[in-house]
Amino acid sequence: MNNIISLSGNLLLIICLATSILQSLNLFTTNSYTNNNVKLFSTIQFTCIALAFLILIFLFTQSNFGFELVTFHSHSEKPFLYKISGAWGNHEGSLLLWILILTLFNFLYSLSAERDKLYKNKVTAIQSILIIGFVLFSIALSNPFALNESPQSEGLGLNPILQDPLLAIHPPILYFGYVGFSLVFSLAVAGLLTSNINNVWAETVKSWTFLAWTFLTAGIALGSYWAYYELGWGGYWFWDPVENASLMPWLAATALIHCVVVLQKKNTMQSWTVLLAIITFSLSLMGTFLVRSGVLNSVHTFASDPGRGLYILSFLFLVLITSFTIYALKSDGIDKENSYSLVSRDAGIMVNNWVLITILFIVFLGTIYPLFTDLVLNTSLTVGPSYYVMTITPVIIILLLFMIISPLVNWTAGKLSNVIVKMRYVLISSLTLVLILSLYFYLFSLTELAIIFLCIILILTSVSSGIIYSRNNIIITPSLGRTLSHSGFGLLLLAIVSNAVYSEEKIFDAKVGDTLKLSDNTFKFEKINQFEKQNYNSIQAIFYLMDNNKQVEKFSPEIRFYNDPPTITSETSIVHRLFEDIYIVMNVTQATNSISVRIHVKPFMTFLWIGVILIILGGVLSVFIKNKKINA
Amino acid sequence: MPKRIIYYVPILLIIVLSVFFYFSLSNDTSKISSPIIGKPLPEFSLPSLLAGKSNVRSEELNEEGTFILNVWASWCVPCRAEHDILMVLNNLHDVKLYGLNYKDKPSEAVNFINKLGNPFKNIGVDQSGRTAIDLGVYGVPETFIIRDGKVIYKHIGPIHMSELDEIIVPILKDSR
Repeated sequence: MNNIISLSGNLLLIICLATSILQSLNLFTTNSYTNNNVKLFSTIQFTCIALAFLILIFLFTQSNFGFELVTFHSHSEKPFLYKISGAWGNHEGSLLLWILILTLFNFLYSLSAERDKLYKNKVTAIQSILIIGFVLFSIALSNPFALNESPQSEGLGLNPILQDPLLAIHPPILYFGYVGFSLVFSLAVAGLLTSNINNVWAETVKSWTFLAWTFLTAGIALGSYWAYYELGWGGYWFWDPVENASLMPWLAATALIHCVVVLQKKNTMQSWTVLLAIITFSLSLMGTFLVRSGVLNSVHTFASDPGRGLYILSFLFLVLITSFTIYALKSDGIDKENSYSLVSRDAGIMVNNWVLITILFIVFLGTIYPLFTDLVLNTSLTVGPSYYVMTITPVIIILLLFMIISPLVNWTAGKLSNVIVKMRYVLISSLTLVLILSLYFYLFSLTELAIIFLCIILILTSVSSGIIYSRNNIIITPSLGRTLSHSGFGLLLLAIVSNAVYSEEKIFDAKVGDTLKLSDNTFKFEKINQFEKQNYNSIQAIFYLMDNNKQVEKFSPEIRFYNDPPTITSETSIVHRLFEDIYIVMNVTQATNSISVRIHVKPFMTFLWIGVILIILGGVLSVFIKNKKINA
Repeated sequence: MPKRIIYYVPILLIIVLSVFFYFSLSNDTSKISSPIIGKPLPEFSLPSLLAGKSNVRSEELNEEGTFILNVWASWCVPCRAEHDILMVLNNLHDVKLYGLNYKDKPSEAVNFINKLGNPFKNIGVDQSGRTAIDLGVYGVPETFIIRDGKVIYKHIGPIHMSELDEIIVPILKDSR
């Protein structure tokens, strides 16, 4: 029976491969009559992979230990939800998920109304070439349907740290973003080949770009939130190479979404926009290479295999070389002549494009540098957060400045003095607010004050441009997407800065009945519970946050002892309050009469997540809002 | 046309980056960390943690045959997780497994062994951490496999069940 399942899984992959090869041939056709095939082929591709993926999930839910993948990554006693998520919690399964999303985007695009049939043929052909690359990889080097030589009676489990509902949905959402840019890439390369990069092209690209960008943002945010409450280190971003691998395409994509809007409105910046589209997906591919080849040492990396690394590297190389050569040959002359004004919205967006690329470069260097020293100087080192903080902070100030000014300037040409007049109320109120804040909180660091000041202005100007109050009516303008994202970004940065300045943490040795004090907060250690769950045993400590002898909040940090594989995890207990998060983690110690706990007080965390949610909502709105074209 | 040249710069960058990645790929990061591989264990003689046993001496482990030396401590959480694996290793396979108790309170180390079982033939106490420095230990746990007077493998971090099956056991079987 298992043989048949394995065979049919592989067969589905092969059918998808064959269809993709047929569809990729459309790259060379010059007539547009093959268009019916496009829909048919894309449907076959998507159906095959979706079925294969369902089979894999079915195998995991059945705990079928005849299959290698299930044996290594599942266990019969695992909760049902994690049996399902186990299907993509490993290299082979997540690769299949990656292919599923590639084919899904191809399928969705094939359904969309595109006037230029020839162009549509080319886009789906390029997308199919990407599919071929990954399906071949899956069949030959990462086969999810490989059978065990002899059936096993029990699986080797899944890392308990990964048994978490957020982490079950984090990869699909992140991949949706990552892989979504494959379609943007295909649209860009096909646009170059048929020489029709213009505002009409931008209109098609815009929705897909915003869609992928929104999912990428949400995926990164979920991963960060997971790290925040599961790892128990009190942080939400660690500049881990794998986090960086997702941040880099995000930075390029953020630049891209702004350029696409400029291109659509003013029919300018053609070649730069196309370049960004290619770069964004290239960075997604590079991230895949870094994560899956074992080149990087990180908690996220999958089991490494040099053959796999070599394959992805070769594929990456081919895709990049081909697309950038096409770019070099075709992009000369696609830029339309345009009157450029130094004080205009597109000039401001261009500046911030460069700022984003600078940050991208900083992150890229920080990620690659340890590899470089390892290879050339033979010394291992890690680049710490202080490098990123030091280098990115000044650049962020420029970014904020232009985020504030650009939306207030006209698309064509404006005057800076007008901007200041427009902003006069906002400027005065922000200045007052910052002055009060700095006196109240004894804040005197110039950089922090500058960032806080700019963030407040950004939030105020964004909100006032999106929601206008006139003649007792509240008018919501079409730029609401931008309003949400930009004010969300302001809120996010505000929270990051104040969090970095005001976070407190302390380690206590506590006995039951003890009272612990951290700044203004008093905690009472109430009791210790022990209990057994399906696949782990647990020790739980109960703490209360006290206010005048009343119990205000309850904390229940836990240490879990998993049976298979034998692992110990520490479960953080977090209480979200409006202005601060309080965070208690238990450490494992040898002492028998007391336990060691770490208490963190982290201000403004709620605002940080609200900021992120606003950014995502802004992205969602922008997928649907149609922009008007501006005749320049 | 100077503008054209700029368009080819990305291609150059890709080639440089790919070559760099290619060499990184074949660059095994674990090899750098273990200059000890291929050499005999550095000389040491450590008092035993176990009552009535003689000192653990490097000559003993440098003899003919295959030996495993595991560096552990009772305060180290991953060691606790790894301990079950060591018990399995000791029960299922005929190995000469030795322990090196690193910067630990002997009373707590003995407690640890009494509670969780003793997979080791003998345990040397390295309270100062001096021997660990000679061995080039980064952190606990770490495991060395020594065959016929030469270190042939070093494992950094706890050994997982899958690694026991895929790495450690094949190395042990290789000797017979």
